[in-house]
Amino acid sequence: MINSDIIRGHLESVILKLIIEKDMYGYEISNLITERTKNRFNIKEATLYSVVGRLQKKELIESYIGEKSHGGKRRYYKITALGRAYYNQKLSEWIELKKVLDALLEDRK
Amino acid sequence: MKKIVNFVKHTFKDIPKQGKEEIIQSVSESLIEKVEDLVEKGLSEQEAIDKAVLEFGTIEDYFVNFKKQEKKKKRKKTINHYKNDLLFSAVGSVIIISIIVFINLYYLPSTLWFVIPSIGILFWPLSILYNLLNKKENRKDEQDE
Repeated sequence: MINSDIIRGHLESVILKLIIEKDMYGYEISNLITERTKNRFNIKEATLYSVVGRLQKKELIESYIGEKSHGGKRRYYKITALGRAYYNQKLSEWIELKKVLDALLEDRK
Repeated sequence: MKKIVNFVKHTFKDIPKQGKEEIIQSVSESLIEKVEDLVEKGLSEQEAIDKAVLEFGTIEDYFVNFKKQEKKKKRKKTINHYKNDLLFSAVGSVIIISIIVFINLYYLPSTLWFVIPSIGILFWPLSILYNLLNKKENRKDEQDE
């Protein structure tokens, strides 16, 4: 289980990425995160909702009420143009960071 | 579903009023979605509610992300506040000291007693300056961290 302090700064990018793939509702996001990390990282609902709320406030995503196949209503989140741009910027930042850390922590023989 | 709403209300009962309703509403909405999903998967409603509540985490998980920003804002506000205080105290003490000087020179020009109370009065802006510098120093320390 990964220490959530380390991943915290990147949660925004993670959630944006998932929403870019397709419109999603809250629980779907947390399910997908668990699934994709093969249970190595579980996002707490509390954290998820606070990040989503913040993204919405920054107008990086918007929400709408959608129908679900079984008739229930869901609040779906959708990426905005601004959110896409923000994500691309964050992604290149992350790639840069990864390179730097690889260079520093890699075994030298 | 009332249980969920009550749980969320209870969790967020101590947060500032501004935005409280909004947070409670959106969080309970999302949690109810989760419960409905779990029920669809075959859990009983009670089990689903328990699971949702258990996995929700704590209010710290919700606020840890932007508490820092809020703290920063608050500190900036205090510093501005102290700056105003400093200005006020400086102007105030100048006025009081000039009155004392006037009284001194007008009634008893031979002894310059005004110096003594002036020193006392000068401690007013000095103490506030001290506070202000302290606060600024603290902020610098935290930025370095």
